[in-house]
Amino acid sequence: MPANFLYIVGLMANRDYLGEFEHMVLLAVLRLGDAAYGVTVRREMGARTKREVSIGAIYTTLDRLEAKGYVQSRSGDPTPERGGRSKRFFRVTAQGVSAVHRTHGALRSLTEGLDLLRSHS
Amino acid sequence: MRQTEPRTRPPRLVAWLVELFASTNQSESILGDLHEEFLDISSESGVVAARRWCWRQGVKTIAHLAGAAFRDAPWSFAAFVLLGFLLRWFGAALPARAIVAILRAQRPYSNGHYDFYLWLVTWGIPTARVVEMTLIGCIIAAIARGKEIVVTTAVIVISVAVVGWNFFLHTRNLPPQIPIPWGFLLANLANWVATLLGAVIIREIRSLSLRLHSTP
Repeated sequence: MPANFLYIVGLMANRDYLGEFEHMVLLAVLRLGDAAYGVTVRREMGARTKREVSIGAIYTTLDRLEAKGYVQSRSGDPTPERGGRSKRFFRVTAQGVSAVHRTHGALRSLTEGLDLLRSHS
Repeated sequence: MRQTEPRTRPPRLVAWLVELFASTNQSESILGDLHEEFLDISSESGVVAARRWCWRQGVKTIAHLAGAAFRDAPWSFAAFVLLGFLLRWFGAALPARAIVAILRAQRPYSNGHYDFYLWLVTWGIPTARVVEMTLIGCIIAAIARGKEIVVTTAVIVISVAVVGWNFFLHTRNLPPQIPIPWGFLLANLANWVATLLGAVIIREIRSLSLRLHSTP
């Protein structure tokens, strides 16, 4: 029991897997390449996951990912269709790509050998 | 020109509320996105649909920003809220004490200033308290930089819960001949609004100063 507890604490301390929403946002930014900013990320996620995401959720997640070093942002030029405000473009860093790989690896390993269709029927 | 203007931009109130809750570096991008999508939806589905979309997005965005302000730094958030709550708690009695001290020292009722004395004992204390709560709102917002409105709102929510609970406890066994003290709730409502107003003033000053510094 104490060994298990220490193992779990150790795992949590070293945890650098992506949360579900962080994962989706990073994948959307990766898919969009140079065109990734708030509006396009939100639309990409809406189109592919059929889930309406709020602008606030996108930016709070992108800010968190930037703080972790998984994305970088740069400001574009102000445009009239944005009321004179500039776009904030995002790109995934090498560290972010590693985090995606790590999370995919963990999910693959956990789902390996599971017959999900049969267990749900 | 003035008639067509609202069709080309999101509702002012939504934009203002989102700007209040967003950190200064987030607000530019969030408001830009809101504007851009508003124009797209407006041209595709009409202004009414765009405005409805904008309100829905605004409410969801504010909820996310408030949640993120707590999740990203829960300890500092809790410390700011506790500090704000204590300031309001211990500061609440100060205006009454100050006015009683003035009355004792100056004795306006015996110097022919009876109207002034009456004003002090009736409206003086609540007015001084509203001014004090505005200042406390300013102090909370000044300390909680970047989270001014979220922290102040949390302080007010806790205060509403405490006052509401006390009001319930005091009024539930009140004899029928004693009227329910609605004035007490009204005075508290004025204090909550004043605290929030103080925070909004500081937030607006910061936003304005940032805009002035970023303008080339």
